[in-house]
Amino acid sequence: MGGGGGGGDNETYASMEEANAVDYSAPSRQQDSSYSVASTSAVQVEEELYKKERMTLLQENSVDSTRATDAQSSGVLDDYEVVYVKDNVSVHPTQNALGRISGRLRLIKQGPSLFMTWIPYSHGGLSRQGSNVVVKGGLRNRMGSRAAERDRNLYTIRAVSLSEMRSIRRHTPPFGWQYIIIVLTSGLAFPPLYFHNGGVKEFLATIRNHALLVRSAEDANVYLVNDIQDPLQRSLTSLELTEQPAQPASAPSQEAPWPVILKQEVPAAAENDVKREGSLKQDSRADSLRKRDHARDLSMNVLEKFSLVTKFARETTAQIFGESRMYLDGLDMDRGPAPRPPSDAEVLISGKEAQASFNKGEDSSSGLKSADEEVVDDNLSADDEGDDQAATNVGTFELVDGTQDDSPSLVWGRARPPPLGSEEWRSFLDSEGRVMDPKALRKRIFHGGIEPEVRHVVWKFLLGYFQFDSTYAEREYLIAKKKEEYEVLKAQWQTVSPEQAKRFAKYRERKHRVEKDVVRTDRTLPYYAGEGDDNANISVLRDILVTYSFYNFDLGYCQGMSDLLSPILYVVDNESEAFWCFAALMEHLAPNFHRDQNGMHSQLLALSKLVQLLDRPLHDYFKQVDCLNYFFCFRWILIQFKREFDYENVLKLWEVLWTNYLSEHFHLYMCVALLKRHRRRIMDEQMEFDTLLKFINELSGHINLESTLRDAEALCLHAGERGAGCIPPGTPPSIPDEEAGGWSD
Amino acid sequence: MAGNSGPEFDHIFKLLLIGDSGVGKSSLLLRFTSDTFDDLSPTIGVDFKLKLVTLSGRRLKLTIWDTAGQERFRTLTSSYYRGAQGVILVYDVTRRDTFTDLSEVWLKEVELYSTNPDCIKMLVGNKVDKDAERVVSKQEGIAFARQYGCLFLECSAKTRANVQLCFEELVQKILDTPSLLADTKGVKKNLLRPEEPYNPQAAPGAGNCTC
Repeated sequence: MGGGGGGGDNETYASMEEANAVDYSAPSRQQDSSYSVASTSAVQVEEELYKKERMTLLQENSVDSTRATDAQSSGVLDDYEVVYVKDNVSVHPTQNALGRISGRLRLIKQGPSLFMTWIPYSHGGLSRQGSNVVVKGGLRNRMGSRAAERDRNLYTIRAVSLSEMRSIRRHTPPFGWQYIIIVLTSGLAFPPLYFHNGGVKEFLATIRNHALLVRSAEDANVYLVNDIQDPLQRSLTSLELTEQPAQPASAPSQEAPWPVILKQEVPAAAENDVKREGSLKQDSRADSLRKRDHARDLSMNVLEKFSLVTKFARETTAQIFGESRMYLDGLDMDRGPAPRPPSDAEVLISGKEAQASFNKGEDSSSGLKSADEEVVDDNLSADDEGDDQAATNVGTFELVDGTQDDSPSLVWGRARPPPLGSEEWRSFLDSEGRVMDPKALRKRIFHGGIEPEVRHVVWKFLLGYFQFDSTYAEREYLIAKKKEEYEVLKAQWQTVSPEQAKRFAKYRERKHRVEKDVVRTDRTLPYYAGEGDDNANISVLRDILVTYSFYNFDLGYCQGMSDLLSPILYVVDNESEAFWCFAALMEHLAPNFHRDQNGMHSQLLALSKLVQLLDRPLHDYFKQVDCLNYFFCFRWILIQFKREFDYENVLKLWEVLWTNYLSEHFHLYMCVALLKRHRRRIMDEQMEFDTLLKFINELSGHINLESTLRDAEALCLHAGERGAGCIPPGTPPSIPDEEAGGWSD
Repeated sequence: MAGNSGPEFDHIFKLLLIGDSGVGKSSLLLRFTSDTFDDLSPTIGVDFKLKLVTLSGRRLKLTIWDTAGQERFRTLTSSYYRGAQGVILVYDVTRRDTFTDLSEVWLKEVELYSTNPDCIKMLVGNKVDKDAERVVSKQEGIAFARQYGCLFLECSAKTRANVQLCFEELVQKILDTPSLLADTKGVKKNLLRPEEPYNPQAAPGAGNCTC
């Protein structure tokens, strides 16, 4: 057997490429890189089908006779297979029957992948082709069909990979058609697809034949696709249900938070009735005030509320969507008394705000309030879909459910904003170089990280080497002064003569220990590459670490420190400054290396309490198998996940941790998130001390950073004060006897 | 992961590598499990590797625990002695302190934390390829082994000399010690790999074999 391969080459993590790695933690992970590739070919397939279908349509000349058979549809190309076709599957952008867009739903198998497409029937002409085919017997007038055509384009699902899907929810209303809502792993969701001719069961069965489809334990109508990411949500959901004391009166939900977003491909069709955005809004409001003739599905309502597509598609010009940008209107414009519509500026800002406003209870609900209120006001459709209420997160055109504990669900539905770039960084500084709003900066970095080109500066602030309120001039002075200071410290051991060293065992031992470790630290990274100590940066690592062991003689050198220093030197790329940054970090992490291991034990204990709070069954399981010491998380905590991610991701993670934004102990929530993510495997396979450690160690290189950060953030928000209560004061990286969180301000 | 031949094995053994930092514990393990040699990062906490071997006609699954050497991690590593049938005490023949620490530190750890009273100890002097730098002689190693009742070998993870033999000798000795075989027939389900279902017929009667 491949003992080595099976053993997980943790040591070579730096060279591991995420793309090659099997990601246990999140199948969705690969979508960023592989989706575009995969879907390109699927899109080509779809294009072919589209053309074929169009031909069929033109030949048959009727909307209702578009019963292209499977045989017809399949076999257009050789390398794919249509495994499911259903006609008359519709999107209902409005409750007006005329506004329904019917289309054909397909599952296409291409190689090992399965894709879903939904292509609306073309009965008004194919604007993207520039032609205008008038269908004989068409019901609409020209204007109507033109608007409908835009809708069709907006709603078209060209090819979505099954690997991108998180769940499919089946809805069986007491009257009307069955429909499904598909939620993607990204948190986006497609609008409901109504099956006018039935076939939901068959659809699910077909998927089950090609992918892992698991019925949610919480809700029999929810089918989890690929079902890996689910345990976290599921357990969190159950936790919310059992432990969340007071829910808003408007929360009838019993299911997982649903990020509901519309993701649409928006073709830039040339249209002549171009309107400005402002007037569009008014138009859509006017439109929304039109009387509705029958009660409709609440979830549909909600989806409409926030998907500009539904609302605006009929009124708006394709140009507005031309760049695939989406605006979401957080208001219920279908129902009066409509809340105040946001200005465009507000729409854009609120996206930003919504992402950043989770830290406190008072603002965690702000983005969701309107949704809740609307739902409370809603007395139209009290069927079983009352749980699909949602709130907006405009900036990323997301629509997120506001059912339960809102914040975590918001987090899940959110994509990380881009990292802080140099221009934006400058905007945080006043004319003399002071960081005007350290908290805003930390918040920004917590959510988005830092671009590499400004990382070396910003890290110095995050680590506490620079004060946020220092000026350019003060920092320049500090650098010079600290450089001198460093040289003095360094000279202390560099001037030890060979004779002196002979009688200085501690010195020899330390130096030796450091030398042994630096030559085996991150050598796969070009910055440190080479053999032995033939790389100048390796010598710098050594000098800093030996100097540190003199600077903090009581602590000395301990294994793991070279792991902590390596990225700092790599980023800061200056010996003296890297030393001081490292020393600042060690102010927080030194207890990790204390002889009595108290720092580690207190963190492991806090972790245990957090798991008890956030995942009681898992805690009970660990207790049962006598694993409550959490030693299997030792490496994670000791060196802040340094060995668990590739180098670039370590940098990304550390700057998030160092913001101390949501919690000083965010790394512990990372641990909980990871454990929760794998809880099912851990418990199903009845892992015990040994197997558990092996399993955890071998996760190295296979952890998806962004989704873990998101999960950890959601958990941290969810835990709130109770979470903080699990962590005794002084638990590293907190500095005892200092104002909590105040170290970096 | 590694597609191996099947779930069947007769015994599952837990082995533990201990010794000072930098003596080559991880390198020995890597050489044994994958026959490679590499500059490895210092072990943080505890690492784990698996190897299937056939010895004296018996199929064995070895779970080998590789511990961090620095004494500061000792409170952690001590918990890993539990249930081990064999312990490999490693020193570096070019560093005397790593040798003396074995009796002063590591053997005491074994006595303190090992749960198997008959647990087999194996003394291993690594880095014999650096003969010019050698400071601990083979005779010293032998004397130590005699004194403390250990098996003894000198080896080099770098040149692979004797590495295989180290593990084989240790495992053979475990096989020859009936009291150590009691709990090793795979009943500890948690030591099985997930994809390998427990097969109670895998080793019929092997535990009773006292030959």
